[in-house]
Amino acid sequence: MNNWQLQLAKAITKIENLDFQALADAARLPLDDSSVHIIGVTGPPGGGKSTLCNQLIQGLAVSHKVAALLVDPSSPFSGGAILGDRIRMQALVSNPNVYIRSLSNRGNAGGVASSLVSILRLLMSYGFDYIVIETVGAGQSEVKIASIADTTLVVSVPNLGDDIQAFKSGILEIADIFVINKGDLPGADSLYTSLRESAQSQRQGWTPPLCQTVATAGLGIPELLAEIHRHGQWLGKENRLVEKRKLAAKFEVLELSRMLLQKHLDTVPAEVLARNLNRKDINLLQKLDDVYGELLNIFSEV
Amino acid sequence: MAPIRVLMAKPGLDGHDRGAKVVSRALRDAGMEVIYTGLRQSPEQIVLAAIQEDVDIIGLSCLSGAHNSLFPKVVDGLKAKGAGEIVVFGGGVIPEADIPGLLASGIAAVFTPGTSLEEIVSWVRKRVKNHHE
Ligand SMILES: Nc1nc2c(ncn2[C@@H]2O[C@H](COP(=O)(O)OP(=O)(O)OP(=O)(O)O)[C@@H](O)[C@H]2O)c(=O)[nH]1
Ligand SMILES: [Mg+2]
Repeated sequence: MNNWQLQLAKAITKIENLDFQALADAARLPLDDSSVHIIGVTGPPGGGKSTLCNQLIQGLAVSHKVAALLVDPSSPFSGGAILGDRIRMQALVSNPNVYIRSLSNRGNAGGVASSLVSILRLLMSYGFDYIVIETVGAGQSEVKIASIADTTLVVSVPNLGDDIQAFKSGILEIADIFVINKGDLPGADSLYTSLRESAQSQRQGWTPPLCQTVATAGLGIPELLAEIHRHGQWLGKENRLVEKRKLAAKFEVLELSRMLLQKHLDTVPAEVLARNLNRKDINLLQKLDDVYGELLNIFSEV
Repeated sequence: MAPIRVLMAKPGLDGHDRGAKVVSRALRDAGMEVIYTGLRQSPEQIVLAAIQEDVDIIGLSCLSGAHNSLFPKVVDGLKAKGAGEIVVFGGGVIPEADIPGLLASGIAAVFTPGTSLEEIVSWVRKRVKNHHE
């Protein structure tokens, strides 16, 4: 019964570890399956993302197969990580419709792991109907999730200091749905008001709705699920989802390329790099640009 | 250089996870990825989580005294699900007299409260490395 989970789990590990064969195998799997809905959940540390995901997954898994990818940050010192999001999802582990996997961001800025899109391809091939991604607790720059997920939920909570300041650059713009969690705490109403004023503008024909939840009590979850479905249906029209997935595939190439460059850079001592950047006989950046350009000629063949 | 993946779990009904957290942090600081699953896990839940997370090794912490029944259930559960290669170690308040029985039931090592973190970390590293070779 858990045989497929064993297999899937091992395949994800290979992708995470950037095993080239595993990445190439994943790249051959389609990303354009429109029957799969990818839901991203981002927001401040401790905002209740995991608790909320637990509720969403429980709701979705009643009649669907659901996979969850829970991303936590790696330690910049050791590279290790404590991945603790599962604590909020204990009841889901024995649900046969649910597969949960914790991932370290492996030092990647932006709230997700570089190999995430490749993992999504793999999950799609296992027939999941929904894939829920919880990002690293977001400051202001963890916006990569919007390039990957079909529907991005931005979670905010009352009393984060000055509410909107905390969500300054970028994070408001990526929301397809705003979730005001911890609605049981004082300040939820004023957060609602300020979010409605400053964030509810139409983008390409979609006005992000505001949902209020108390994730710990399961309040507001049916309404939130309804909005997620409504956004999914909106995406299904006018080729929107197809376009979104194309962008996700491009993002995958970008992330993996960056990751590979990083891998090589990390093997050269910083002072050697700096010295060679200064060299008179060779312009390092020009060289990089040439090499990339040449390489991309191959990728640009139509 | 794939990081070692560890599942830290607390089977049983006691509500103290300080020890498990301290060990988790030490393993993280040694470069490992530690999935922390929280309190009051049944052996079945631990087995399923370990499979989904594709961990190399499971650390069980138990202070309630129920280790003799709970720890072996995890080992047996893993075997039954085809994941018998996952190493299981244990820790907590465990009487010396219980240790031989636990080892015989497939627990790879038992660390009692006096054990240093360095010792645990280096044991995990060595055990998983041997295992991968
Ligand atoms: N009062 C209240 N507390 C909540 C609510 N939702 C979550 N919490 C609590 O907030 C704390 C953090 O919840 P998590 O779900 O772990 O938050 P998170 O955003 O996943 O945290 P990180 O992954 O560490 O960034 C926990 O103690 C939850 O019980 C809510 O609606 N109301
Ligand atoms: Mg979380």
